[in-house]
Amino acid sequence: MKYSFVILLLVALSFLGCEKDDICSADTPTTPSLIIRFYDVTYPNTDVLKSVANLRIQGVGNDEVLPGYNVVATDSIALPLKTTETITQYRLYEEYVVNDNDTPDDDTDDYITGNEDIITITYDMTEVYVSRACGYKTIYGNVSINLVPDSDNWIKLIRSVDDNQSVENDNEQQFKIYH
Amino acid sequence: MTMNNNLKYIIKTLIVVLCFSGSLLAQTKTPEINVKDSLAVIEQDSTIIKQKYGLRVGLELSQLVRTAFDGEYQGFEVVGDYRLTKFIYLAGEFGAEKTTSSNTYYNATTQGTYFKAGVDYNFYKNWLEMENLIYGGFRIGASAFSQTLNSYTVYTTNQYWQPQFSSSDVKTYDGLTALWAELVIGLKVEIVNNLYLGAHVSVKGLISQEEPNNFENLYIPGFNQTYDSLGVGFGFGYSVSYLIPFYKKDK
Repeated sequence: MKYSFVILLLVALSFLGCEKDDICSADTPTTPSLIIRFYDVTYPNTDVLKSVANLRIQGVGNDEVLPGYNVVATDSIALPLKTTETITQYRLYEEYVVNDNDTPDDDTDDYITGNEDIITITYDMTEVYVSRACGYKTIYGNVSINLVPDSDNWIKLIRSVDDNQSVENDNEQQFKIYH
Repeated sequence: MTMNNNLKYIIKTLIVVLCFSGSLLAQTKTPEINVKDSLAVIEQDSTIIKQKYGLRVGLELSQLVRTAFDGEYQGFEVVGDYRLTKFIYLAGEFGAEKTTSSNTYYNATTQGTYFKAGVDYNFYKNWLEMENLIYGGFRIGASAFSQTLNSYTVYTTNQYWQPQFSSSDVKTYDGLTALWAELVIGLKVEIVNNLYLGAHVSVKGLISQEEPNNFENLYIPGFNQTYDSLGVGFGFGYSVSYLIPFYKKDK
């Protein structure tokens, strides 16, 4: 009798260790990024993918280059949007090259060549509950992208995939940029 | 404890054997014999032992301990059972809990009351007049509660823009309910006359629940923490209870 009490006590205590690992799995879809693909402006009606050479992306107001987009050649990008504001701006450099001014040891006189276009993304936000481990995510509605005009825009045309474009997951393309 | 009873048993048997050579006693029906009084017992056949039937009420202990030491928890539970037959007890609990669930991304408080009702089956064969239980049982549990989202921060894997949106607008979701079934195993040991210490573990399956809009029931009073979409819960507890004997009946 005494022993069974002890055994049961141990069984009961073992349940204390049974808390589920409350870590948000990387497979769980949480706050999505905006997915844009690049197309050849020569064929605006047939959608031929066209990579951007030496692409460098940096958020306006952010001191860092967007990780993974520091001078790359790609036809597909994922831009994280601010969850605190309904507007996010990015600088997209095409043909980003640092010219060392023939003094490779001295970087004070270096200058950047390339064509910088700024896009302004506006949207509204909804916070959606995901799970115990992940909490809430933000999804975006009524997303639109406007190009800030300059004297030499390399971006020629921006189209959304749907009307009243939303950004709710990371698996589908939401915008097309023609260049 | 067992040794002691073995000894008692031997002594009683000896006394009975000695008495047996004398005349058999005529008084076969004496319903109010005190079982603790071994002299009274020997007036009857030693195999007839009376057991107490009545209402046992008590308190759950682990919730009280948690209330004392865990700043994010308050709770109590009243436990009770009523002996129906030799093996079967009607059993139930009611209580109230308030607890806060939090991680880096949210902080929410659940508060509510619950009750459980069911049956325990004692499958322990007691020595003589001992009245301990090792039981298995089931319960149906129901809870009415509210959940308050105190604050949250949006989760995103990409931390390029910081900080993330966070809100500390308190949102309360009232009128939440849950219904579940529960399997229990446990024991109750009589430590002094009519006073019992108990321990049990339980596994619970959610039957239905009313969930808040754009949130979930992180905790259900009486059911404990919910596990993402599984609908399964676990529990354990210790209790101290007092038996109020109503009548006695042959073992």
